[in-house]
Amino acid sequence: MRRPLTAILTVAALLVPPLPALAEEVVVFAAASMKTALDAVAADFQSATGHTVTISYAGSNALAKQIIEGAPTDIFLSAAVNWMDEVEKAGLVTEGTRADLFGNTLVLVAHGTDAAPVEIGPGLDLAGLLGDGKLAMAMVDAVPAGQYGKAALESLGLWPSVEASVAQSENVRAALMLVSTGEAPYGIVYATDAVADDAVTVVGTFPDDSHKPIVYPGALLTGAADAADRAFFEALSSDAGDAKFAAQGFAILN
Amino acid sequence: MTDWLTPDEWRAVALSLRVSFWATLVSLPFGLLVAYALARWNFWGKPLLNGVVHLPLILPPVVTGYLLLIIFGRRGAVGQVLDEWFGVVLAFRWTGAALAAGIMAFPLMVRAMRLAIEAVDPRLEQAAGTLGASRPWVFATVTLPLILPGVIAGAILAFAKAMGEFGATITFVSNIPGQTQTLPSAIYAFLQVPGGEPQAARLVAIAIAIAMAALLLSEWVARAVARRISGQ
Amino acid sequence: MTLRIALKHRFEGFSLDLAFEAPAGVTALFGRSGSGKTTVINAVAGLFRPDEGRIAADGVVLLDTGAGRCLPPHRRRIGYVFQDARLFPHLTVRQNLLFGRWFAPAGPDVGPGVGLERIVALLGIAPLLDRRPATLSGGERQRVAIGRAILSNPRLLLMDEPLAALDEARKGEILPYLERLRDELGLPILYVSHSVAEVARLATTVVLMEAGRVTAIGPASTILSDPAIAPVMGLREAGAMISARVVAQEADGLTRLDTGAGPVWLPRIEAAEGATVRLRILAQDVMLATRRPEGISALNILSVTVRDIHLGEGPGALVRLSAGEATILARVTRRSVDALDLRAGRPVFAVLKAVSVARENVGRAGP
Repeated sequence: MRRPLTAILTVAALLVPPLPALAEEVVVFAAASMKTALDAVAADFQSATGHTVTISYAGSNALAKQIIEGAPTDIFLSAAVNWMDEVEKAGLVTEGTRADLFGNTLVLVAHGTDAAPVEIGPGLDLAGLLGDGKLAMAMVDAVPAGQYGKAALESLGLWPSVEASVAQSENVRAALMLVSTGEAPYGIVYATDAVADDAVTVVGTFPDDSHKPIVYPGALLTGAADAADRAFFEALSSDAGDAKFAAQGFAILN
Repeated sequence: MTDWLTPDEWRAVALSLRVSFWATLVSLPFGLLVAYALARWNFWGKPLLNGVVHLPLILPPVVTGYLLLIIFGRRGAVGQVLDEWFGVVLAFRWTGAALAAGIMAFPLMVRAMRLAIEAVDPRLEQAAGTLGASRPWVFATVTLPLILPGVIAGAILAFAKAMGEFGATITFVSNIPGQTQTLPSAIYAFLQVPGGEPQAARLVAIAIAIAMAALLLSEWVARAVARRISGQ
Repeated sequence: MTLRIALKHRFEGFSLDLAFEAPAGVTALFGRSGSGKTTVINAVAGLFRPDEGRIAADGVVLLDTGAGRCLPPHRRRIGYVFQDARLFPHLTVRQNLLFGRWFAPAGPDVGPGVGLERIVALLGIAPLLDRRPATLSGGERQRVAIGRAILSNPRLLLMDEPLAALDEARKGEILPYLERLRDELGLPILYVSHSVAEVARLATTVVLMEAGRVTAIGPASTILSDPAIAPVMGLREAGAMISARVVAQEADGLTRLDTGAGPVWLPRIEAAEGATVRLRILAQDVMLATRRPEGISALNILSVTVRDIHLGEGPGALVRLSAGEATILARVTRRSVDALDLRAGRPVFAVLKAVSVARENVGRAGP
């Protein structure tokens, strides 16, 4: 009789949320593309301070909507300026804390490990490279990576020739997967995403002036009350923090 | 009327209808076969088949889409064969969207049909056998008419599910306006842009109208058929 | 037409092991519930596959486990009337009747006179043709089921207690139709029943089954009047089956019959003069007297001879009597056997009240 009872109590104990620790908790809503670097920074911060960092990763738009609807969040790290604008408009950003923390670049990736590099400019015969294959991008009207990519192709005069060949994915990672599996021969993704995938080769980088700067704004939100929140927000801009992000291919803007 | 939706949006609506129609139609015979097998046959691996059929219900749609990509993609085991032998390409085509929608809707279709088949008294089928009808004839003349309401319910349910399928579709065939951009993809795209909600709402209204119409139709047809069958 | 059946099968706690041959006419498989009757006809129909067995109808081998032959049900051409009619609910009566026609082999095999109209007339179901099974009474459903089986042009008809689900009135409604089938179509019928009354009215041959074995087989009149078998049927049901010829319909509502052992008067029987009928005379309705009784209300007094006496375990005894060609059973007490000094060979008088023979115990004689 005792054993099952013990088991039930153990399971029940696991289901009950842990008692609030003496240490404080930092709740971060962050764009999914920052995961690798941000997890590393958070791990260092936790072991150094004893505070807990809870991070929810998702698309910036979903996070922004949740924040506006009242999700209890201390820090918002967005992959797109416009969604940070929405949060700010809702009056949820702590004044003076919004900053463009990191930057990113847009690259053309090809399937495989031995693809030849190309010169990305108005003279690039992208349509010729694609043949009857598809160009994988994030949704060009909806997802930031797609919007930047479309703007870049337009400014280079390449958009009309490839528009019909673009396969638009739900997010930039899905676009990368299409190239990674070889389903699409080429794709346009962030430099930071390309780093994470061994099955693709970066064959070119889009010139910075071909699209609006890709920046990752971050801000402390009005709900952030305690010192730990501010401490973690500052840790992101510290040298150690910057190093983690740089390792993943981010440009350091702070 | 025509400026109520943009041409791209009209195309998304039309494409969704086409994808759902074919997804339903093509999966119908397979659904019937699997439902019949699960309801009436005992064979090795039956729990396995049951599990596989229900997988799309359990897996995140993105995973189903990814599996489809791996299997039916241009480089997938089946996709390659289809392409080389039959010239059928699913990836990035509306046919692929129909496949994804059909797979996602399959468990619902099979469940409805299986329940209907299990409700048919096997002794009636036995009686038909003693009257000279071979198994296929028994199915066509006794079983099928009796399960027709369930088959219709299953088909409409599958159609409705196909209309709303998004995750597996966009992962497998992406979002190409006019080719693979279905109603849910278009709605999703609008929801990604600040201020896109009103546009999304119009498409949502259309989606709701189509789904409600389909469900009402199925209720009506199923009841009419049931009346005919019971002879009352 | 003969049907040869040999079956062996092991069930949990029960085994079937039998062989018999059913001649033309109606062969009744008679026995208690659980004696294996339905299993036998399911094996004939192909709905049940025994461990071992051989079944042949008129030389056509339907099943031969030794030779690895087993025809599927739809290729056996065996009509089956189930206890529950099993009509197709989505079809009209007409469509139900014609269902087997879609599959029956056309041409010379289709026996003469088994057309829809004849069967519909024979079973009295013409007014039902456009109705759905859901609107039929139990008796009507069973008649349609019988018609449906016949119209599939079978070489043999199986009936699994076709009347068991019906009340007495419905049984009475259907029995005459079954007699007409037997007499007019010449279709061999294997008939499962545990009702002595049904068997007595319909059967040409009786196969008695107990616990998966055949314990007796023979002409219905012999088997049913065998006192040794009476305990199987239940003593209250024990009785003899005799044939009688209708001699005259008399003015006071009685029918005079000739049994071969003397005249018998019974309440009006609907049959032409000269027709032969079957009577089942229950043993408990027969009284015995050593002298011809006088001043007695019973109309029928037959002069008979005691053939043998079976003493039961209780106070009763069954006396088998020879009445001309026929056999009659009388159930009396042992005390009476002693008091009257009954013994084999002794001539006695059998007394039978005219009203004791119930209408359901009078049927048309078989061919």
